Amino acid sequence: MSAARSERGGTGKLLNWRTRLRRDKSLLLMTVPAVVLLLVFNYAPLFGLVTAFQYYDPLVGVRDSEWAGLAQFQQLFNDPLFWGALRNTLWLSFVQLVLFFPVPVALALLLNTVLSERLRNFIQSVVYLPHFFSWVLAITIFQQMLGGAGILNHFLRQHDMQPWDITTNPHTFALLVTSQAVWKEAGWGIIVFLAALAAINSELYEAAAADGAGRWRRMWHITLPGLRGVIVLMLVLRLGNALSVGFEQFLIQREAVGHETADVLDTFSFYYGITNGNYSFGAAAGLFKSVISLLLIWGANKLAHAFGEDGLYRK
Amino acid sequence: MRQGLNRRSFLSSAATVAGAAAMAPLLSACGGGGGKHKAGANTEQGLKAALPAFVPNTAVPADIPGVSGGSNGAVTDPGFLTYPANPVATVSGVPGKGGSYTAVTPLWGTVPPAGNSFYAAMNKALGVSFEMKPADGNNYNTIIPTMTAAKKLPDWINLPAWWNSNFNTGGLADSQLADLTPYLAGDKIKKYPNLAALPTGAWQTGVWGDKLYGIPCFSTAMPLPGAVFYRRDLLEAKGITADQVKSADDLMNLGKELTDAKGGVWAFDDVWTYLSIAWGIPAKWILKDGKLVHKYEMPEFLEALDWHYKLATSGYLHPDAIAGNNADGGTRFYAGKTLIGGGGLGAWNLADHQSGIAANPAYRRGAFNIMTASGTGTPQIFMGSSSSMLSYLNAKLRPEQIEELLAVANYLAAPYGSAEYTLVNFGVEGVHYNRVNGVPTATEEGKKDVQATTFPFLAAPPSVISNPGGDQVTKDFTAWQAANVKTLYKPLFWNMNLSMPQTMATADSGQAVEDTIKDCYHGKKKVSDVQAAISTWKSNGGDRLKEWMTDNVLNKYGTGQ
Repeated sequence: MSAARSERGGTGKLLNWRTRLRRDKSLLLMTVPAVVLLLVFNYAPLFGLVTAFQYYDPLVGVRDSEWAGLAQFQQLFNDPLFWGALRNTLWLSFVQLVLFFPVPVALALLLNTVLSERLRNFIQSVVYLPHFFSWVLAITIFQQMLGGAGILNHFLRQHDMQPWDITTNPHTFALLVTSQAVWKEAGWGIIVFLAALAAINSELYEAAAADGAGRWRRMWHITLPGLRGVIVLMLVLRLGNALSVGFEQFLIQREAVGHETADVLDTFSFYYGITNGNYSFGAAAGLFKSVISLLLIWGANKLAHAFGEDGLYRK
Repeated sequence: MRQGLNRRSFLSSAATVAGAAAMAPLLSACGGGGGKHKAGANTEQGLKAALPAFVPNTAVPADIPGVSGGSNGAVTDPGFLTYPANPVATVSGVPGKGGSYTAVTPLWGTVPPAGNSFYAAMNKALGVSFEMKPADGNNYNTIIPTMTAAKKLPDWINLPAWWNSNFNTGGLADSQLADLTPYLAGDKIKKYPNLAALPTGAWQTGVWGDKLYGIPCFSTAMPLPGAVFYRRDLLEAKGITADQVKSADDLMNLGKELTDAKGGVWAFDDVWTYLSIAWGIPAKWILKDGKLVHKYEMPEFLEALDWHYKLATSGYLHPDAIAGNNADGGTRFYAGKTLIGGGGLGAWNLADHQSGIAANPAYRRGAFNIMTASGTGTPQIFMGSSSSMLSYLNAKLRPEQIEELLAVANYLAAPYGSAEYTLVNFGVEGVHYNRVNGVPTATEEGKKDVQATTFPFLAAPPSVISNPGGDQVTKDFTAWQAANVKTLYKPLFWNMNLSMPQTMATADSGQAVEDTIKDCYHGKKKVSDVQAAISTWKSNGGDRLKEWMTDNVLNKYGTGQ
């Protein structure tokens, strides 16, 4: 960023690209491996999108597969299950945005008030830990606790009470998956906010305290404005990923609550595309998702810029 | 799921997959679009001309011989209680003539080092120089298409039969795989007596467009999809024996009697897949008054669903089964948390016995006989695919090379307990295995090089039942097979390979209906919801599928029965 500033610095004219290239060549060289990685694993596979317009047959390959035009999309848009999956995706995404997103921010703020470094490190380690569990393990733990044969219901039955199976109830599924996500990922999510908190100049707090600002005023006028850029960036990224609410989590619990409740766009592509051998259909659903995601992230970024924030990049 | 995959548990997992595949479309619905598939189903006449003759092999007599089912053509798998002390040789001389070949097979385990002592011993015995290239079994379906799309197949390759519904195997046969008809059809196979002993049904799965391409790897003349298992030890302790259970009502009563939710015991795990057959539900189609009827259209189908819905909502089905946690089904069964559950027959083996007695020394698996839901009439169960995997030769091979490899296949297909079988499956005595109480037991080297199964994926003898150290399992399983062999019937379009345009394949798999069915037998959706899903399915492709099947299969190629 400082380089960007110095470009305009002094005379206010842009340096020509040759000079910039010479000046930044070691930096550019360092990014080459990352760029190559990106090209090989993110951009080259984009050519596979052509299968969405084919009747792709893996045994003959992309080149010799039959051309389908827009037939796969036609079939997709006529499929009520596809719209159901889209609806589920948006709903789950919305619930997670409202219930999940604030948790890491709040946790980071709380953690920031803990003065003992040892205690803080301990709490951090504890809340990070579930992130390293796989979804299979996380959901197994939930089932062992809350499932029909789990500890809670075993206790209820022992005491002659009605069992209460939370894990197979389609009506509360959104809450269940969100609480799973909070348990597993909220701790990990605080890292970026903690970093932003650490970057806030502590002299500001001292000055404010000297002026008689209480704890809440300091949080409102110093901490939150300091975090705002990061919060907005995370929100933009989150919105761009609104259609990717996860895959394994829903794959594993699909049978528990039924496909109508648990199918999101990714599991839809998997069950109605890949497991059927209908790869092109799955690719079409995937392409649709990508296009919408691109629009979402573009829109959210625009919005961020309109509010004077950085968004994904500085304008 | 299982630790320390050895050959046996590995084969059984393959067999389980085969069982599942048998439940899936028996028709090979190939990917791809319109009518580009050249190799399709077989005509009755053409199939007859392409199929090899069957000559049973009596080189190694079984302790419990196979029992014939009579007119249905089924024969139970023979049982062996001991491993022959002096294995007999069934092949004289060395089959190969010094050729060099590459072979690709799936492997669920660690790849043995190239040029290991077992490969060397095999190459010496076979008289050819094989370059074995085992590929990761879990990713086999993504590895092979890169070879076929680039038209760079090895000389010999294994292709699972359950792929047929996802891949255009027929098209591949037509273009890149060797036609074996001139070498094996009819009496020509008698040159290769061990191959001639493979069941005819298994060869049928290797025929595409009236030509024989595939060599069956894991074949059986008793292709049963699966059964409803029960904890024989626990039920007999309560005075319940299998012959008392004759109908769906009996089972429902058992549900009530055996479920003790407070004690953490539920009578049932999932049983739908194998128990629904008791209502007379076919694999997919039946012929009624000369017209095709899909199983979704049968009233019996809804009756079966209704019963299973009741089972789930009555609280006799384990909550984890309702939650779709199938992976722990085995653990629940071993722990006695569930007492009755459906499954593929591959589960009835030594590994299961060992896992079971680890949890409870009295553990004994049993299976209910094939029954009718009403308890009256003749119980029937449709046959599944007769071979779960096939191997194919490259079309580029010269005739003398094909003959050389067929001689090698004949060696690999030598019957259980023969000298050749011993080498292929256990290696060299003293190096790869030692006899412990007469049972060939792998050494460390054997575990590494031989138990990482490769050669049987190219050709293998028909399946047998043998569980050294678990004779009770062998006796129980063979007895159950013998008691039920007559109930098998050849379903419509049995073992028929045919290509289907993709839109038909999608309707054929009926994923949306299957998903709703699952929700129904887990008590989450009513039978009327399934009915609604079925009528959507019919208008969205089901009816067209039936038309297509009638015009392109039934009217052209017949029933295949």
